Amino acid sequence: MERRKFIKRAALATGGLISMPYILPSGLLHAQTTPQLAEHVVFVLFAGGVRQQEAVLQQYLAGSQNENIEGNIMYNMLVGEAPEDKIAYGRDDVQNNIIGAHPIDRILETPLELQGTLFPEVRFARGGAGHFNGLCTGVSGNYYPTQGLRNRPSAPTIFEYLRRHAGFKATDCWFVGHGIGGSRPLLNHSDHPDYGRRYGGNFLAPLVTFGAPGQKHFMDFKNYHPETDWEIIREIRNFLNNNFVAEGLEIPHLYNTPEEENQIREFVRHMFEKVKSNSVILPPVNDNRDLKTIGYAVEVLRYFKPKLLVVDLSDIDVCHSDFTAYLKNLHRGDHGVGFLWREIQRIPGMQDNTTMIVMPEHGRDMDPNPIQDLNDWYAYDHSAGNENTRRIFTMMAGPGIDANLKIGGPDNPIGDASDITPTIADIFGIKHQVEAAGLMDVNARSLFDRM
Amino acid sequence: MLTSDKIAILVLMIFSLQIFSSCTVEDNYIYEIKEQTILPVNSEKDKDKSNVQYISILYTNLFRKAMSPNDMLDALRAIESIGDKQIAFDILVSKYMNSDEVVLPTEEEMREDPEKFIRDTYKRFFVRQPTQAELTWMINYINSRPEVNPEHFYFAFATSNEHFHY
Repeated sequence: MERRKFIKRAALATGGLISMPYILPSGLLHAQTTPQLAEHVVFVLFAGGVRQQEAVLQQYLAGSQNENIEGNIMYNMLVGEAPEDKIAYGRDDVQNNIIGAHPIDRILETPLELQGTLFPEVRFARGGAGHFNGLCTGVSGNYYPTQGLRNRPSAPTIFEYLRRHAGFKATDCWFVGHGIGGSRPLLNHSDHPDYGRRYGGNFLAPLVTFGAPGQKHFMDFKNYHPETDWEIIREIRNFLNNNFVAEGLEIPHLYNTPEEENQIREFVRHMFEKVKSNSVILPPVNDNRDLKTIGYAVEVLRYFKPKLLVVDLSDIDVCHSDFTAYLKNLHRGDHGVGFLWREIQRIPGMQDNTTMIVMPEHGRDMDPNPIQDLNDWYAYDHSAGNENTRRIFTMMAGPGIDANLKIGGPDNPIGDASDITPTIADIFGIKHQVEAAGLMDVNARSLFDRM
Repeated sequence: MLTSDKIAILVLMIFSLQIFSSCTVEDNYIYEIKEQTILPVNSEKDKDKSNVQYISILYTNLFRKAMSPNDMLDALRAIESIGDKQIAFDILVSKYMNSDEVVLPTEEEMREDPEKFIRDTYKRFFVRQPTQAELTWMINYINSRPEVNPEHFYFAFATSNEHFHY
């Protein structure tokens, strides 16, 4: 009911936006059929394969190590008391040499679960529980049971839908990757002939761009004058490119406009200055790659105020060999999400105008592998065919999202990993165009339609 | 002695022979031009360079020496970390242009003999000679733009679509 009220209010506020056909900058005729629910969306792919047992089920060690200790180590996102014994997920007590002894202070006074809607039992329905498959499903609303690494998704990504059907600019759409491994740089657009690179989102792996490789090959790049040097360079380059006319044979760019190209270059320069002065925005605790990636994602949000930013976290995948480190990184992932939400509320224009969605790309096995860590706790993989890998959750908060609403449960799974693409399309008012394209999984539905 | 009648008959025979011979039907030859598809000189460059190939060739063209394997690996990672490759290549070349080790012709050399400069630049980056149209445009550009310098040309060639293909 609250959603209906919101839509009514939003419809009044947006007035003539509804059903008014107009020509997009891309030249496509477009009819926006529903009002936007928010101006911005941030989607967190969380965070390398999460077991439900340690996440929404809050079983801590009880669901994995045969120790009767339960508790919530994701208290920025979920409601629940933290474990009281065998604390190993926090910061290390260096003086007493105790690993993970000090839990990280909460960032959000009100957990996201109370601020928004939680789908605690969602299905990762098809295909193997591989990271790339899961990430592809997250950004494209489809499953890829037979697709290997080093191939772009065959179905369009949400970036392409938004650029083609909603007329978003390239710098409106960002994928901020945890790194360049696992074919992450291929997630910003598909190979679909009707969509593809022309409608791709910008990709950035900041820990590489601004880390050692970028510092060696990008940092302090020459500052050409935009109106003299760049104009000359572009004139000569355009002449050369016009004499190389074979269709499609071009440097694989993303159709950023010259102004956007300048803006991205200046962002890179700006960030290197921040790296040098050690002033990149970072969460209070930032001792793993995920938390640093979140910091750079906030920098992208501040600089570009994009319509859609997708950030993927991956550090909890250490669970393959180190369960203690998995708990620590799960706790840090929650810390990062809390920080991200807090920072969004501090960005003018995005405050109270941004929907955040959090979903693991897949789950993990029910049974451990034989590897034990320093606490003698067993590690967990994410194996093909293991039903526990198909158990994930989805959480969203923002304008028009019902607060403190829980939909579904362990005995009543509601939601699918392929739902995020139609949900984002719904938020931006192009759900019908995306559905009409017919390129998503048959189970994919907007989460608003599952409420 | 030939009589006048005989002479008349001989003349008539020669005349008749000429008439008959001029009426002979000759073979009718039709000359046609075989259709040819004229392609640009760079039309055979239809394959993308890999990032490794592009960086390696770029570095050699700018520094006239090979890149070390470690540098190559880092440059490759840096390029892969930015989605829009035009922007990534622009930044990479901008970075390299800040180095004292880049080997560029001087502006004096360029203006003293623009044709040689253009031919050398085409050969260096595109491994071919410019067409007459390209040469004319480039020379006119140099002569009409006092602010243009060799670095502008090297940058544009290095980050052009043709340089990314082979």
